[in-house]
Amino acid sequence: MRMRLVRTAVGMALTGPFEVVLANGWNMPVGVTDLSRDIHTLHMVIFWICVVIGIVVFGAIFYSLFRYRRSRGAKASHFHEHTTVEVIWTVIPLLILVAMAIPATATLRDMYDASEADMDVLITGQQWRWRYEYRGEDVAFISSLATPREQIEGQAAKGEHYLREVDQPLVLPVDRKVRLLMTSDDVIHSWWVPDLGVKQDAMPGYINENWVRINEPGTYRGQCAELCGRDHAFMPVVVEAVEPEQFDSWLAERKAAAAEAAMGLDREWGLDELMERGEQVYGTICASCHQPDGGGSPPTFPALAGNQALMDDRERHIETVINGVSGAPMPAFRNTLDPVEIAAVITYERNAWGNETGDSVQPSAIAERIAD
Amino acid sequence: MWNVIKSVLAAFFGVQKESRRREDFTSGRVMPFIIAGVLMALVLVVLIAVVASLAAR
Repeated sequence: MRMRLVRTAVGMALTGPFEVVLANGWNMPVGVTDLSRDIHTLHMVIFWICVVIGIVVFGAIFYSLFRYRRSRGAKASHFHEHTTVEVIWTVIPLLILVAMAIPATATLRDMYDASEADMDVLITGQQWRWRYEYRGEDVAFISSLATPREQIEGQAAKGEHYLREVDQPLVLPVDRKVRLLMTSDDVIHSWWVPDLGVKQDAMPGYINENWVRINEPGTYRGQCAELCGRDHAFMPVVVEAVEPEQFDSWLAERKAAAAEAAMGLDREWGLDELMERGEQVYGTICASCHQPDGGGSPPTFPALAGNQALMDDRERHIETVINGVSGAPMPAFRNTLDPVEIAAVITYERNAWGNETGDSVQPSAIAERIAD
Repeated sequence: MWNVIKSVLAAFFGVQKESRRREDFTSGRVMPFIIAGVLMALVLVVLIAVVASLAAR
């Protein structure tokens, strides 16, 4: 009983300080991937091997110093070679090193095995931000520091995630193998997220591979780990891990947004560019009935030039082009023309041939109406 | 010949008997040691490559 108490006390004295250090987050994190757990286990095993070696070696030194001190009449022995001892102190470290190398090499092999990934993300370092591209999905964006200038310049209190927050995090699904391809546009950067067990150099002209399979949803933060210039400390990494279904719908949303941007629905169009585009559309689609000069062929095809009803009622004009006129030859163009073409041709009709309403119709407004 | 190989192995391992060292240094010829050393270094490299490719299977 007393032995056990003593042992517990000794154990706590030895491991206690380490527990404190671990609890304070000073140690390497366990992380949220199988690989980061392997790395952590490896780290701890080798750490404890080093602790034991340290205790044995320094223990032997201090014991010898104390036990064979000169005041007790100890005499040093003088010998020059002792093959047995030399063999022992060569073989033991060799065995220890090999014993550590086997699990370490196995983990390294896993780390480099990026095969059979479910998806690829290309990560490009730039001075001083990260660009993420979901390969084959037409989704790409730049992720920049979101910490306000005032906090950096000391004019405001620092936030909880000071210098470790971005405008758009990298969103990844849990339970899927994601291959990370890393490169750089300028100098060497390093994409480092401790919780994912990934620290990989991003080098200009090279593509490095790594991979993650995240086990738990959450937000994981990291930094650039290769000194890359003035704002090296201002290009953090934030990974948002979500459930696969949530990821799929997020990706679909981003794809739709990208498609909208490609179609020009994400911005305000100026009157001149709408007019230019509208003239083309009018020429190929509308002019055959309404005539190139807007004069029409009444009564079947009404004139658009000088048409007061058209100029007065913008809503009805839009409605007519989108949905057509029932009982008349005017077809619905909602499915034949894209929103930019519809907006442009309406704008053109409202401002050409002396129709000077001066108003324009935005493609985004048309897209919304068609979607309703 | 056998003595040369044993001495080169001892050098790879890093432990040599003083008496053997004396013998080697009085034999008067250095070329056998150099040739044996280079050849056995090659053998070591091949051996490690084989072990590594077996382990990687």
